Amino acid sequence: MDRRSFMMGTAVSALLLASKGLAFAQEAEGVAPDLAQFPRNETVIVHNPEGIIRNPGWFNPWVVGAGNGTSNGLHQLTTDTLWLIDPDAGVAGASENAIYNSLADDLWQYNEDFTEMTVKLKQGITWSDGVDFTADDVVYTVEKQKATPGTPFNGAFTAQVASVEATDPYTVHFKLNASNSRFHTLFSVRWTGAWIMPKHVFEKVEDILSFDNNPPVSLGPYTLHSFDPNGTWYIWEKRADWEKTALGMVGEPKPRFIIYRNNMSPDNRLIEMRNGNLDMVHDLTPEATFSVVAQDPQIKGWFPGFPYAHPDPTLVMAIFNHQNPKFQDKRVRWALTLMLDARAMSMASYRGAATLSAISVPPTGTHPRDYHGPLQEFLTNYEIDTGTSKVKPYDPDIGLQIAEMVRPQFGEAVPSDETAIRNAFGYGWWKQNIPAAEELLTAAGFTKNGNQWMQPDGQPFTFSVMVPTDGVVNRLGSIIAQTWAQNGVQAEVEAASDTWDRQRVGNYEVNIAWAVETWGGHPDLSFFLDSYHSAYVVEPGASQPDRNWMRWKDPRLDEIIEKIRGIDFNDPKGIEYGTDFVKLHLEEMPNIPIMAYNVFSLQSTRYWTGWPNAENNYANPVTNWSNGRYIFTQITPAAGA
Amino acid sequence: MHSYLWFVGKRILQLLAVIFCGVSATFLVTHLSPIDPVEQVLGRLSARSNLSPEAIASTRAALTELYGTGQPIVTQYFNFWMRLLRGDLGPSLLAFPTPSMELVARALPWTLGLLTTSTLITFIIGNLFGALAGYNPDNRFFQAFGIVAIAVQPIPYYVVAFILLVIFGFLWPVLPISGGFAMDVRPGLTLTYIGSILQHSILPALSLVLVGFGGWFLGMRALVSNIVNDDYVTYAELGGVSRRTIVDAYVIRNAMVPQLTALAMALGGVFSGTVITEQVFNYPGIGSLLIDGVNYGDYSLVLAVSTVSITAVALAIFIVDLLHPLLDPRVRTE
Repeated sequence: MDRRSFMMGTAVSALLLASKGLAFAQEAEGVAPDLAQFPRNETVIVHNPEGIIRNPGWFNPWVVGAGNGTSNGLHQLTTDTLWLIDPDAGVAGASENAIYNSLADDLWQYNEDFTEMTVKLKQGITWSDGVDFTADDVVYTVEKQKATPGTPFNGAFTAQVASVEATDPYTVHFKLNASNSRFHTLFSVRWTGAWIMPKHVFEKVEDILSFDNNPPVSLGPYTLHSFDPNGTWYIWEKRADWEKTALGMVGEPKPRFIIYRNNMSPDNRLIEMRNGNLDMVHDLTPEATFSVVAQDPQIKGWFPGFPYAHPDPTLVMAIFNHQNPKFQDKRVRWALTLMLDARAMSMASYRGAATLSAISVPPTGTHPRDYHGPLQEFLTNYEIDTGTSKVKPYDPDIGLQIAEMVRPQFGEAVPSDETAIRNAFGYGWWKQNIPAAEELLTAAGFTKNGNQWMQPDGQPFTFSVMVPTDGVVNRLGSIIAQTWAQNGVQAEVEAASDTWDRQRVGNYEVNIAWAVETWGGHPDLSFFLDSYHSAYVVEPGASQPDRNWMRWKDPRLDEIIEKIRGIDFNDPKGIEYGTDFVKLHLEEMPNIPIMAYNVFSLQSTRYWTGWPNAENNYANPVTNWSNGRYIFTQITPAAGA
Repeated sequence: MHSYLWFVGKRILQLLAVIFCGVSATFLVTHLSPIDPVEQVLGRLSARSNLSPEAIASTRAALTELYGTGQPIVTQYFNFWMRLLRGDLGPSLLAFPTPSMELVARALPWTLGLLTTSTLITFIIGNLFGALAGYNPDNRFFQAFGIVAIAVQPIPYYVVAFILLVIFGFLWPVLPISGGFAMDVRPGLTLTYIGSILQHSILPALSLVLVGFGGWFLGMRALVSNIVNDDYVTYAELGGVSRRTIVDAYVIRNAMVPQLTALAMALGGVFSGTVITEQVFNYPGIGSLLIDGVNYGDYSLVLAVSTVSITAVALAIFIVDLLHPLLDPRVRTE
């Protein structure tokens, strides 16, 4: 063999090896669909925001961190639990106060001191392999996870459940380790929840932590049709017996097939939606949204016009680290609040498409009805004593002002009705009031040297503002730091890729993130507020439980939390106590609530209509929430699709 | 022959030392990362649930035990080498308990297929045209080609990729812009599957070729420009040797020695993947796998990818070292 032949042979062999490897990498999961089976009037294509699913053939959601897809249809279409709580209003007639009885036949029933809970289950529900769903499945779910570290609810069930038993095939009785009026929320889906396990499948498995559950036996109306062995798409097909599921009892899911596509870059998903290859997009950038809705009248957002985005029940805020001496005086926190300009924050972060909130409850779902609206008079009359003067800082019309700012660019897309503007842009926020802020800092012992504020100890008032590396929150933090710097406070933006880890251990000074998340459709605030109890605040450097990232402690706060713990989830007093919390928060301003986390979820009406929106707010359109399952019972094929 | 074997022996020792040092350095760097895989999992679990602080603490303890992250770093290092010698790089912590190498094996063929092909195409086009341009400096076609190469080379890769995406995905949507193969194709050694893979790889490969050929072209043109003035080329021309023979056997062959070295290095680097290509075209591969491993604090996966990459680069250099004395007689082994 001459030298040339040797080199050619080597190159060809390498290519053959590579191509053989490619085929080998795929051969484990070989069921690919024929797209001709998916007529668009029977198929909905959904964007799933997950990246590449690293363990694509894994369908066991009862293992933590297994690398499987979650919002790839698995937790929307095949899993179920006792109740679901919608972030918006819920389907009329199928839910009450946004609560769906899903596998449960009724609401939870506690004993008087909340140490026991009884649940009645629906009858007539079957798993996709035809086995009846019964109380034994619920009991197994609790006992198996309690006994298995590495399952998602191992910690919760171990800490809270003393015993669980099926008193009859459709009744489950829990005895709890301590009084807990919110125990049922473990089985109540906001985004996810304690999904019920198929006992008849898992009891045959020796080690459930290494069990891939492929294909999954479904408790929802869809089963797995096929999936990409590279982890970028999943196809689900409607069960013939869909009516024997809790979702089917709400209504028939209309699509025969639902395809979830993930790992799509923003440009890619924008193009694919315009090309008719996506019906639902999880989110886009504000700019991409404005562009695509202007070009394609079939693409719709939550609001019929500007700002289009869906306000998630998550509140973006400037979070002060209370274990840092710089932020322990509420006058300082209020001064920093009054330095900010809501209009600038809205424009810089969302190009004006923000939904502002001055109070520590997101302006979304039913919260405007329960909190924002009723509190307007209180907020308008709210007064702060700066030490020199008394000011009323609230401006109830900032939302209207922002609407006028964007009207020249977006014209008729911007609502003109005052109520519509308040719903879309928020009720109001704090007026930028630099003199009042300076009075508050002076009262707190600060002095001004030129344009630099000095702390009481004579040191310059400097700190970092931690933001994620990109996105609207990054933009928001940048304008906040810039505004503070312009007014004599040396705030510097610190873009970090590990913000989540750092806020958990308190390794930040000011953090632009969210410390408030609610059910959205229900006024109970326990979802985030219970973890604010001072008993859970840890020492600096230790890991703080979610969501009191600011490590705020106040005995009055503890008292409110304990009152909420003492009443039922649906007790009307919950709103009263929630309002007490809002007022205490205003007094202390432990963090600065700014705006809802608006998500630019879009839907195309080219093939399907009936999507939820602000006027028909029966569900959250953000595609990775498992509550989105109800959407499939409400949509219908577009005429001519 | 004896001296060549001695040379090979020394290079093998160097190869093992490079791999050992590279893998150990990666182990150290990944384990000094502030990203804790347990906290990453907890973050994903608790961020969307209302787990009580007690439940979170209990889950943290269970995961630390399960993942073995609580062990001293020296113990982890020792265990790592023991496993590696058995060919086991441990379970991935972002896809627990799936072995890390399983994830690498799933992604690697895509990267190898795309990058090997595009690197070879780029190499051939760049060097062929570069050699002809160097030998024919007054040819207008090659002058124009040189201007294009110089103009395209500095354009950031992501700009070129995005332009291709917009042109062929939106303005003239004739090529797939997403994924490795179509949803309606069954994976296997069939013409349909291979055709679908090729169709899906056109845009990613084209973007890599467009950005990559300029470097080879300019390098080869410069090499050939020098060689054509050497005495032996002039002598061959005066001796009436045909132009084709001069270009093929005298000029290109001599100029190819450093280019082949660079090719071997480039092919070794293929194992590191191309993150931006994978992101823009949603193409499967090892680059985004590595990024995921870093972001999730999955040092087991990062080590698996890095070990493959380090070994590949070291092997590529090793092979070049071994071939060099054979390719170029002027290089001696002693």
